[in-house]
Amino acid sequence: MITTTDLLALLPLIVLSAVAVIVMLAIAVHRNHRLAFLLTVAGILISLITVPLVSDLVPRLITPLVLVDRYALVFTVMAYAAGLVAAVLCWEYFRVREGHQEEVYLLILTALLGAGVLAAAHHFASFFLGLEILSVSLFALIAYPLREIRALEAGIKYLVLSGVASAFLLFGMALVYAETGTMEFAVLGGRPGTFPSVIGTILILVAVGFKLSLVPFHLWTADVYQGAPAPITALLATVSKGSVFILLLRYGLESGVFRVPVVSVLLALIAVVSMLVGNFLALRQNNVKRILAYSSIGHMGYLLVAPVAANVVGGNLAAEALLVYLAAYFAMTLAAFGVVTVMSPADREAEELDDYTGLFWTRPWLATVFSVALLSLAGIPLTAGFIGKFYLFAAGSQGALWMLLGALIIGSGLGLYYYIRIVFQMAQAPAALQARPEARPVGAHLVLAILLLLIFGLGVYPAPFIDLLHPEINVPKQSAAQQ
Amino acid sequence: MLNYLGLIPLFPLIGFLILVASQGNMPRRWVPWIGAGSVGLSAVLAALVGIEFLSGSLEPYRQTLWTWMRVGHFASGFSLYLDALSLNMMFVVTGVGFLIHVYSVGFMADDAGYARFFAYMNLFVFAMLVLVLADNLVLLYLGWEGVGLCSYLLIGFWYENPENGAAARKAFVMTRVGDTAMAIGLFLLFARLGTLDIQALLNRASAAWPVGSGMAALAALLLLGGAVGKSAQLPLQTWLPDAMAGPTPISALIHAATMVTAGVYLIARTHTLFELAPAVLQLVAAVGAVTLLIAGFTALTQRDIKRILAYSTISQIGYMFLALGVTAFSSAIFHLTTHAYFKALLFLAAGAVIHSYHHEHDIFRMGGLRKRLPIAFWSFVIGSAALTALPFTSGYFSKHEILASAFHAENGFWFWAAGTLGALLTGIYSFRLVFIAFFGPENERASEHLGFAMSVPLILLGALALLGGFVSMPLGSVFPRSEPGELGLIAGIFTDLAPLVGVGIAVLLYLLRTYPVEALTETRWGDMLHRFWFSGWGFDWLYGKLLVNPFRWLAAVNSSDIADDIYRGIAAASQYAHRAFAATQTGQLRWYVAAFTGGTVLAIALGILS
Amino acid sequence: MNADLVQASNLWPFIAYIAAIMVVIAAMLVIPRFLARPSRGRATGEPFESGVVPVGDIHVRLTIRFYPVAIFFVIFDLEAVFILAWAVAFREAGWIGYIEMLVFIGILLAALVYLWRIGALDWRTERQKLQDARLQI
Repeated sequence: MITTTDLLALLPLIVLSAVAVIVMLAIAVHRNHRLAFLLTVAGILISLITVPLVSDLVPRLITPLVLVDRYALVFTVMAYAAGLVAAVLCWEYFRVREGHQEEVYLLILTALLGAGVLAAAHHFASFFLGLEILSVSLFALIAYPLREIRALEAGIKYLVLSGVASAFLLFGMALVYAETGTMEFAVLGGRPGTFPSVIGTILILVAVGFKLSLVPFHLWTADVYQGAPAPITALLATVSKGSVFILLLRYGLESGVFRVPVVSVLLALIAVVSMLVGNFLALRQNNVKRILAYSSIGHMGYLLVAPVAANVVGGNLAAEALLVYLAAYFAMTLAAFGVVTVMSPADREAEELDDYTGLFWTRPWLATVFSVALLSLAGIPLTAGFIGKFYLFAAGSQGALWMLLGALIIGSGLGLYYYIRIVFQMAQAPAALQARPEARPVGAHLVLAILLLLIFGLGVYPAPFIDLLHPEINVPKQSAAQQ
Repeated sequence: MLNYLGLIPLFPLIGFLILVASQGNMPRRWVPWIGAGSVGLSAVLAALVGIEFLSGSLEPYRQTLWTWMRVGHFASGFSLYLDALSLNMMFVVTGVGFLIHVYSVGFMADDAGYARFFAYMNLFVFAMLVLVLADNLVLLYLGWEGVGLCSYLLIGFWYENPENGAAARKAFVMTRVGDTAMAIGLFLLFARLGTLDIQALLNRASAAWPVGSGMAALAALLLLGGAVGKSAQLPLQTWLPDAMAGPTPISALIHAATMVTAGVYLIARTHTLFELAPAVLQLVAAVGAVTLLIAGFTALTQRDIKRILAYSTISQIGYMFLALGVTAFSSAIFHLTTHAYFKALLFLAAGAVIHSYHHEHDIFRMGGLRKRLPIAFWSFVIGSAALTALPFTSGYFSKHEILASAFHAENGFWFWAAGTLGALLTGIYSFRLVFIAFFGPENERASEHLGFAMSVPLILLGALALLGGFVSMPLGSVFPRSEPGELGLIAGIFTDLAPLVGVGIAVLLYLLRTYPVEALTETRWGDMLHRFWFSGWGFDWLYGKLLVNPFRWLAAVNSSDIADDIYRGIAAASQYAHRAFAATQTGQLRWYVAAFTGGTVLAIALGILS
Repeated sequence: MNADLVQASNLWPFIAYIAAIMVVIAAMLVIPRFLARPSRGRATGEPFESGVVPVGDIHVRLTIRFYPVAIFFVIFDLEAVFILAWAVAFREAGWIGYIEMLVFIGILLAALVYLWRIGALDWRTERQKLQDARLQI
């Protein structure tokens, strides 16, 4: 039975849902871009404020569906903050464009709700619900500019492929359920490894791999990243992938599937292939959004080191490595797409490499932010990306995953090439000093400044951040005794 | 008070950042206030911290500024460590450093790169403080590379002249050889002992390795490699004379007082490790002894005032290495300290001379400066007296301790003999410089008197060079034994007389000219020897033939580069892989679904087959 | 992995079965090439030789307004399903169930208000709307 304390522990999700309804009604009553934006920002901020209030109540299992613990809360904060950034970027992006803009915020809110549910999911039902809330919101967001043919194309592609993935996911869950008779992660932990349930597990991982755009389920990534509006791509790249990753680790640890040999071999293979293929694909690419898309494939491959290592190094270090890397990845990805957003004029997006020629001379502030974000993505020391990679390295070397680490090094080497290429492009002399129409997007610049500080802060003085991120993931005892 | 320790390196860093951020747009009169003022604040704070520390129990004080990262068992932090040794170094760096900064205010006043100069100097002081205060070897290495970078930047400060750039590159490459050895040593230590925290590392080393074990010797040898490179000892000494291309305050600060003694500091800091490897200690002493002789002979023949001082620096650091090698660590540090006083004094006085002669370096074109530049003259006399170790100057106490310790060590007689001979040479070459440059017929070209900013540091350093020997740090709290044995009567007489004899010879040859030196150098053998010594014992020639030319030849043969083919191959393979994978990105949804399903089938097949 | 590979040898009947299927399919595809005479009947090219002959273009374009209708139907249908499930367990669910259902219906109501306000319930085409507007003037 649900108690008041349970409801309190769910407050970050409840507040966000309420805000979504309020924004919807506000649009119905008085359609105004600024009003919808401000309501959304205020709503996300209030939801963020509730998190510290809740943090004393956790860990708390609320119905078999949802487990609110520190791990979930930490990610919820990250996701909501990313949503906030995306909302600000959307404000700058859609303000200068035509059409109805207010629903973007509604959809961002529901996407965040899905991410929050996923982070706390403890059961196949909540897993699927969270994933679908998130995905359905994203379909609409990607295809939001209705008159843009490429956005529509991207939306359709994501919709169809997501449908296929969801079908696999459901079938996998059904197989596992048929074998084990339960859908709770923690209860699954007792019985991994029998034949149909392994196949079911693999199908679930395939669906997860699709959402994370891991090779060979990655083909949609570049098209969708390119087609979607830049702020939405930022949201897709961070919140969607992050929450699915958070879920993957929890599911794997609690149900004990990471200890099934086939599964860990499969994950390791996917990780290696993703690191290599993703970075190779980005190598000679001339479209900035596609570069970032391919590089995200590589980054998701790097991140897989954490779950694969979890067997050996234990859930806590793996979860810590995952959260630290995700925090870094969120900051640098949002910064990169933020720059793309601010750079985009009203009639198109600044996605070609040529759009960035000589940026250091024409708009040095943006060029600086972009360079820092790219260098951080490449993992240069004293940036957040380095700390994240270092964590993965530590986890991987403790787990003696040399093949994964080898691929990680090769991938990083390749990555350096195409990241630096963009920086060089920005450092070249500009072709002509054309006067750009300077709309002064104050909000976006403020957000970029904060992200820049975060990237440096996490890189130079990570200890306090890491203390905050310290996850204390809940790994049930009985599954640890297994095997 | 002690917890303000972290602020001491911070001030120069802030000074550096301010100077850099202003990008040269700062009003000129503000620059010295920031450049010298920041170091002055550090010096005051260092003095306060030092007083508190010395009035306490001398227990080492550790301050963790922050933990950079902590992953699993690995932790890397920025923590500072204060004991008598690092306090001593801190005093030298901030105190002498501050005086040299003040001097530079006058010396560099007309230079176009005024702000740039002070920015580099501040960065150097910061890096040097990090080096001496570091609690772990990672941080120490950071400071080590930082001072190397600053040295490079400052040697090539007047970069318009390509020769200066070449000198800077030479210094950088030569020290880099040593640094590489040192980095390998650090990796080795970390791999074997699992920590880079200096104190923990030394404890573990003495627990894990018996005296004379091969691993300890290897680690010590690799660290010695780094020390030899940084401190310009044999065989990596050739960069230091060329480094004199930088402005004279740089030579005083970096290439005499502080940075070049970092090698001595490193060995003293890790002395426990070196004591586990007696053979390496013997090597340290031998390197010191040979270096001090070679450099001493070379200094006899030089004409350039700064090169003479450079070779004398190499020679004096040789004494320090000698002391380290015979486990007289506190004597080494004591000599390091007094050397910092009198060598900084000598360089600054030389700077004053060069300044008033409009960048004339050749001592044979000077003369009679005694009356014209009295402060510089007296500075030079005091500095040379201390350098020569005339009784009751600061150099006397420290050098006497070293020779006494050497006498009692294993193979000590030879080390003592080399040191005593070196002392004789020191007497000759230092007073040769004094007599030629300051006595004799007056040269009219010298002009202007010294400014306030330049003369005050000279006077203060002069006082230190005279009296600094009466004060010494309680280094006994750091090092195992610091009691120099007593010299016997005969050895004692030799030791004390050698410098006096040297000065006497200089008086005869260069002041009274009772025996013309030219007659000696004009004989066939004398000429050859002169030229051989003048060239620094032909080390540059040797390295040119042995290393540089073969390398150039290889480079020429390999101009179409075999090794590059590997990289071109990698690049081509990457391109190919890129094109192959890019071909899968057709943009067609049906192909995407097919590939997705195909991937799923593969995954399931893996599940079934395993 | 090794233990699992050993285990894989227990799967040989399965593998043999798959191999047999492959062989049979290949045989069915290849053998007619040699044995069958080429025949060119009227219906040979049809997808279903014995079925209904397809007529017209498969790309039938329905007006977009049918889709909202379908979606609304599904949504309200689902709402009914939930309410029905709740009604069956009305006593067991108690006050908490009642409140939960109120929240659920409330949110749906808000959605309905929204749909109504943005004109999603207006079935007219753009042209009809224009005509109506003109009539009102």
